[in-house]
Amino acid sequence: MPTLHVLSHSPFGDNRLASCLRVLGDKDALLLCGDATYALQSGTAPFARLQATGLKLFALAEDVQARGLSAPDWAETIDYPAFVELSIQHDKVNTWL
Amino acid sequence: MAKSLLLISRQSPWSGPGAREALDIILAGGAFDLPIGLLFLDDGVHQLLPGQNAKAVQQKDLSANLQALPLFGIEDLFVCADSAAERGIDTEALGLDGLKVLTAPDIAALIDRYDQVITL
Repeated sequence: MPTLHVLSHSPFGDNRLASCLRVLGDKDALLLCGDATYALQSGTAPFARLQATGLKLFALAEDVQARGLSAPDWAETIDYPAFVELSIQHDKVNTWL
Repeated sequence: MAKSLLLISRQSPWSGPGAREALDIILAGGAFDLPIGLLFLDDGVHQLLPGQNAKAVQQKDLSANLQALPLFGIEDLFVCADSAAERGIDTEALGLDGLKVLTAPDIAALIDRYDQVITL
């Protein structure tokens, strides 16, 4: 039962990202939205950690654009309709509030 | 068949209302006989420390509520081994009956097993 994990908090403020990556299942995917997209800033520790995992990674395009970031080619940027589609494709969504 | 729910509680008991709200969700779920599990992750493991004194900060203690969980039919209680170790907490010393200590791969499998997950 694959899970879509959703992060919306900055990876520099707490350990949600680290804990999420630790308990992520093989078939699970991760979606970054809001300040969590700051993890896509190249040269940072969260960026390196995400790159090393090789997991299915998505980011909300408008949140990436709003922050002046650019997603690497190993992360797929999606819009809200695609976010809904992604939620449906997975058995459940775990939002790290 | 009711859907099963896993609640992941990852806030310390003194950082705000998060820990108590997680417990409220658990108890509400228990009252409706949902198959329910509770995992203490990250700072959430601090909720399990013995010897807490809520009166010192003019608050109510969560410990008594946690002890009462089995009375409400909530017996699937888990704690993350890594979170405890990082915080210098010996899981043997945690005062909650039936608490199961899980490693990261165990937790991935646990999340997989439940129908729904709430992380607070």
